[in-house]
Amino acid sequence: MEYPGTENAVKEVLKILGVTVVMDPDQTCCAGYVLTCSGYLPTAPLAVTARNLALVEQKGLDTYVFCNGCFGYIRELSHILCSHPHYLEMSNQLIGRWGYKYEGTTRVFHVQELYALLKDRIAEHVVRPLTGLRVAAHYGCHYLAQQYGMVDDGDLPTFHEELFDIMGATPVFYKERRMCCGYSVGRGFTHNEELVQPHLARKFESARDERVELMTTVCPGCNVALDREQPNMIKRGLDGLNIPVIDLSQLVALALGVPIRKLGFDANTTSLDGVVKKLGIEKGS
Amino acid sequence: MRERGKTALVVGGGPAGLESAVKIGQAGYRALLVEKEPTLGGYLGKLCKTFPRLENPHDLLDTKIGLLEKISTITVLTDTTVSAVQRKGDTFTARLTTGAISTDAEVEVEAVVLATGFDYYDVSRYGEYGYGVYPGVMNSVEFEARLKEWSSRQINAKPPGAVAFIQCVGSRDPSKGYPYCSKICCMYSAKQAFLIKELFPETNCYVFYMDYRAAGKEYEEFVRSVIEQKHVRYVRGRPAKVFPNNGRLEVRAEDTLMGSPVEVEVDMVILAGAIIPREETIQLAQKLGVATDNYGFLEHEFGSPATAGDGIFFAGGCGFAVEIQGALEQGAAAAAEVSAFFSEVPEGRN
Amino acid sequence: MVRERDKDWTDDLYKKVDCYDLVDNLEQCLQCGKCVGNCPVAAITPSYNSRQIIRDILMGNMERLIRSEEIWRCFWCANCYRVCPVDIHFPFLMMELRFKALEYHYGIKYVFPFKKFALRALEEGLTFVPGTKGREKIQNLRATIDTEPWPVVSDKAKKEFKAIFDLTGTTEWIEALNEESDNPMICTYREGKIVDE
Repeated sequence: MEYPGTENAVKEVLKILGVTVVMDPDQTCCAGYVLTCSGYLPTAPLAVTARNLALVEQKGLDTYVFCNGCFGYIRELSHILCSHPHYLEMSNQLIGRWGYKYEGTTRVFHVQELYALLKDRIAEHVVRPLTGLRVAAHYGCHYLAQQYGMVDDGDLPTFHEELFDIMGATPVFYKERRMCCGYSVGRGFTHNEELVQPHLARKFESARDERVELMTTVCPGCNVALDREQPNMIKRGLDGLNIPVIDLSQLVALALGVPIRKLGFDANTTSLDGVVKKLGIEKGS
Repeated sequence: MRERGKTALVVGGGPAGLESAVKIGQAGYRALLVEKEPTLGGYLGKLCKTFPRLENPHDLLDTKIGLLEKISTITVLTDTTVSAVQRKGDTFTARLTTGAISTDAEVEVEAVVLATGFDYYDVSRYGEYGYGVYPGVMNSVEFEARLKEWSSRQINAKPPGAVAFIQCVGSRDPSKGYPYCSKICCMYSAKQAFLIKELFPETNCYVFYMDYRAAGKEYEEFVRSVIEQKHVRYVRGRPAKVFPNNGRLEVRAEDTLMGSPVEVEVDMVILAGAIIPREETIQLAQKLGVATDNYGFLEHEFGSPATAGDGIFFAGGCGFAVEIQGALEQGAAAAAEVSAFFSEVPEGRN
Repeated sequence: MVRERDKDWTDDLYKKVDCYDLVDNLEQCLQCGKCVGNCPVAAITPSYNSRQIIRDILMGNMERLIRSEEIWRCFWCANCYRVCPVDIHFPFLMMELRFKALEYHYGIKYVFPFKKFALRALEEGLTFVPGTKGREKIQNLRATIDTEPWPVVSDKAKKEFKAIFDLTGTTEWIEALNEESDNPMICTYREGKIVDE
């Protein structure tokens, strides 16, 4: 919602990589976020997730998301459904009235896994090498927290940095690389801004000290946190902070030659003008 | 000494195997001791000092090897592995492969004693500790070697500013490792902490533990002396993360006794990895048809100290984690079982 | 209360808190503290300690738990779950603990601001739905980058989505949230203050 450019980027990148994407207007939100804020009782999001996944199963496909948060919720909720027969029964009973049935066969992935798997294909299609750009990764929490079956180690992941390397950029490791962004549940629910800000300041300080020029995320929630809080960081005294934050898909789209106007950089609070200029890209191309 | 002719094949030349071979020889039987490394001693030979009395491991090793050499009925083959073994009626046939050029020899024995020892968990599985990625992070075996180096060339060594030991890496961890307790790590880490403080009293030393287990003769007193006399800081809490910072390493944990998160800066992090069975043990057990538990450690028959099967005995680390004295005890027990097995007293047999 | 007494402990508090059956291995907790070492909240809030909360649940200190501010601090980042040697899903446990507190009318001040937001989301089949001005801004932005003016959710989907909430009694539960009935809370862990370094 906040960064529509990310949606575009995912679609364009997958098109270039030769992956067919099926968008289904019958899909809804899984309602996981409000559940974790104790705003919904667990029964409803469980049934909703069963419904969404049943729809995907009917088509015989797997589900892909591009948000860590969504990934975490759908994974966890579907795991609960598959390991607790009474929840599965309850959900199937509810959604059965519309003819849906969740079997537990569809798998849930995040597009970053796809990028990691299709590394070589990405390498083949790079048309705008991101030479000289110092890029740092923010992996976020909910993807790697799932532990089992993940693409890389939760505490020492390197697959984003490998992608940066393949696209010609310079990957940067900064001390607080694995720190949570504090948003979603943190900023929106349990702590207000004044309290999440000192937490974020530590992360930004360590990134600024490593002269990071661009940061990538794989979650719109993280993107909002890291992007929109920067003016507040500067107000609190963190000088010299100017690190634009975009989704990993947008970065890949840049490298793969997707027209820049499709990437919706106007939605970003911390401007990408510097980066665009450095890469020698014409604005509007 | 009566030569009674029956031979026991002892697989493994660590403390358990050595003790077993010596006792079998002293009882008047033949022992064929096979060791895959070029030298005898197993992990004992790699130690700087033993716990709790900080004795020189070579004193013990030399004594045992001296006894082996004196007893004519014991044959020792180093640089040799048991590449095949199977039961043949009342006996066992084994194929022994020696050296890089792989010369094979076939032997026939009446009993087998497995003393193949244990292995260490690969701690690179813990990305949060960065073994193999951050310089300065090592495992206990590597640190013991470093201690040996420092002890012999003390003048040349530059003392580290601070070191941290992390216990239970892979032990008591059903999620990424093994659920069991590896028994000896609390003690050997305490020993290593003692030794480094002895070498470099100015080095700050932390041990991050979960529960320190000192159940043995003089064990508790030893650990208390490490804390009270050597001033090693014991912090109860499993570290969450180790990461490099300005050339040093930062360890983040919680001091659970205080209830507050802590962060310490050190130069070396030593990971006490879990003790796991060796591949050789599992394979030999399969070939001999004896049981192992679901981790791969050998199981003993009900009520027996060291019997795995008919004519098959075991001692030491291949049964579970054990310290040196325990390995000697088990080696002697296995030898007693072999003697009983070989004796001509039919009523004395099970 | 200086000394905890067994008659003050609530029997089976663990099962009472875990009424949704989401965390079945709490007694495996070794109190190792790895969760706290990684917790971003513990780094800024001295009184928040996930390990101590687990201990309190197992011992049965219901009063202390549901009346404290600390249980409303968890970010749900799940870093604790990732490093836990016995895979205790602590964020789910916190969520259930919060529901329990709400049952006793503690902490409504945290959830009540979500009421409007949650009800609006039910109508759209989405979660992050802005107000009219925000909506306009987003539609304009989407127009400039060649994509649909609004994420497409079919009417059928919206109806089914809403129906699930109605049928499970969740809509009723949200609408019943009333900030008047909120009880005052106390911070009983330690200082309870949040440190801004």
